[in-house]
Amino acid sequence: MRDTLLEIKNLKVIYSTDGKVVEAVNHIDLKIHKGEALGLIGETGAGKTTTALSILNLIPNPPGKIVEGEICYCGQNLLKLSQRDMRAVRGNKISMIFQDPMTALNPVMTVGDQIAEVIRLHQKMPRDEAYIKAQEMLETVGIPGNRLKDFPHQFSGGMKQRVVIAISLACNPELLIADEPTTALDVTIQEQVLDLMEKLQKEFNTSLLMITHDLGVVAEVCETVAIMYAGEIVEYGTIEQVYNDTKHPYTRGLFDSIPKFHEDVKRLKPIKGQMPNPANLPVGCNFADRCPDVMPRCRESEPVVIDVGENHLVKCYKYIGGGDQA
Amino acid sequence: MSTLLEVKNLKKHFKTPNGMLHAVDGVSLKIETQKTLGVVGESGCGKSTLGRTIVHLLPKTSGEIYFEGEDITNIDKTALKALRPNMQMIFQDPYSSLNPRMSVFQTISEPLVINRVETDRSKLTKRVFELMDIVGLSADLANCFPHELDGGRRQRIGVARALALKPKFIVCDEPVSALDVSIQAQILNLMQDLQDELGLTYLFITHDLSVVKHISDDILVMYMGKMVEYTSSSQLFKNRLHPYTKALLAAVPIAEVGAKKERSLLKGEISSPVNPKPGCRFASRCAYVKDKCRTEEPVFEAVTEGHYVACHYVKEINQL
Repeated sequence: MRDTLLEIKNLKVIYSTDGKVVEAVNHIDLKIHKGEALGLIGETGAGKTTTALSILNLIPNPPGKIVEGEICYCGQNLLKLSQRDMRAVRGNKISMIFQDPMTALNPVMTVGDQIAEVIRLHQKMPRDEAYIKAQEMLETVGIPGNRLKDFPHQFSGGMKQRVVIAISLACNPELLIADEPTTALDVTIQEQVLDLMEKLQKEFNTSLLMITHDLGVVAEVCETVAIMYAGEIVEYGTIEQVYNDTKHPYTRGLFDSIPKFHEDVKRLKPIKGQMPNPANLPVGCNFADRCPDVMPRCRESEPVVIDVGENHLVKCYKYIGGGDQA
Repeated sequence: MSTLLEVKNLKKHFKTPNGMLHAVDGVSLKIETQKTLGVVGESGCGKSTLGRTIVHLLPKTSGEIYFEGEDITNIDKTALKALRPNMQMIFQDPYSSLNPRMSVFQTISEPLVINRVETDRSKLTKRVFELMDIVGLSADLANCFPHELDGGRRQRIGVARALALKPKFIVCDEPVSALDVSIQAQILNLMQDLQDELGLTYLFITHDLSVVKHISDDILVMYMGKMVEYTSSSQLFKNRLHPYTKALLAAVPIAEVGAKKERSLLKGEISSPVNPKPGCRFASRCAYVKDKCRTEEPVFEAVTEGHYVACHYVKEINQL
């Protein structure tokens, strides 16, 4: 077993607006080991990005607030750190790639300045050395070093995302959080970027938290996967466990919703209904109203997370004994 | 089977400060009644421009368009207005394609009012509720405004609005791209049901290859305004011939463990369609490129029955 790098314990994040309280992330537990690539899958509003932002303590407050839980990074609770100490972690030990490369870069700074900025800030390197390092980083991500003095608008979407990756890896972080890094890109470019990320992750032995809604991307890049629904992790396991031995009805529904590439399916089996309003979550299981296997007790109380075999965790009454099925 | 729509050598060029942008460059296609033609390609390949030009939302540069055998290439305003009810469009982004200040009822009834289809208020109301029912919107949402609804419901409004005038042909421009997978499946099923019930014909534009495989009868692959490959959906996924199509399909991440470990990385990125260089437009990224590709443009021709490809070396590459 590898060492744990980051552990999220019982995290709860709320957003309060106009007197309404939205529970965006609801008591989640998650562990990332050293060198591991973990995929976090969920639909819009599932709380994926909120989880990522909590790790970096970047939740906009107000309206957001981390009300409960701990985020332990190398034995240290990140939520207790001062702003100053936290800044030393961000971009240095833990860095993040944002979804949209078009807006993540500063349009009035050259890419060289933007890469060197991180290096100078965290590693106290002199200016000229930092630029040499920046050039190396640019070459690592497959962009010619002589483009250091170019501005973001002179790059295409795929190349901008490479620049963002160069910035995030410049200080050799231990954990890289990638929030939908390829959603804004075309498939052939997505493949190039995924390939690059996978290579760099192995090379630098960085842990990766890959946030996406794309089950295919996770299958390509990650070893373990967590499925989020309405602020909760409903299933967690290695990708073999989750993809080949799917337990939770929501995960099953996700797989049935995507058109298959290798086989012909005449009709898709979508999950009926919509995700519940996070300001007004139902009593009991959040998925109950959309679940094909719903049982009376799903509406009465919330199921607990249980291990269905070798750290394959599921939050569903179907697998808890003594129920209507057993 | 009759041909509903036929397009011959359609071109759409845009004038830009840097020269002519060849967005659509000589596309010909045919769609049979009640069939779906999928158009795939990466961003900037001209697929949306193609759809918009066909329904006359953009003036064409050259080429011919036939609808039910009639030449509609150069029709005047009155004739176009009479034709519009037959050709509708569903737009990509349900967040920006709806007027935020119009309620669901107003949005769906607008085409009926403009075209004076239903002048009687009670009949109009009845028809709008009927449309909402068809697309699966509950009647109590009639007075809601778009911002109160989620993406899936908004896209249903877009579908209802497109159906209001009982069209024969709908151009669907990435109708599910902005939606979550579980909602995407609901809308795809809805569109298939409507096709069967109402006898619709679709031109389905998307960049998502699994979606296009699922919904299309025929598929046209485009690259930088040019047709690259054109054949039936099953044929394309079994036996693709053009190097670009091969690379494109190989790039799709598959949601299965160990489905694919080898990457056939396509070098570089789509180059600029402004003043394109002579020769094959895919030449700079093609793994099989030879000198001829850089000078001479490949002809788009049938390689086997009903399977069209534009590549000089298609036979060599596929050992045909």
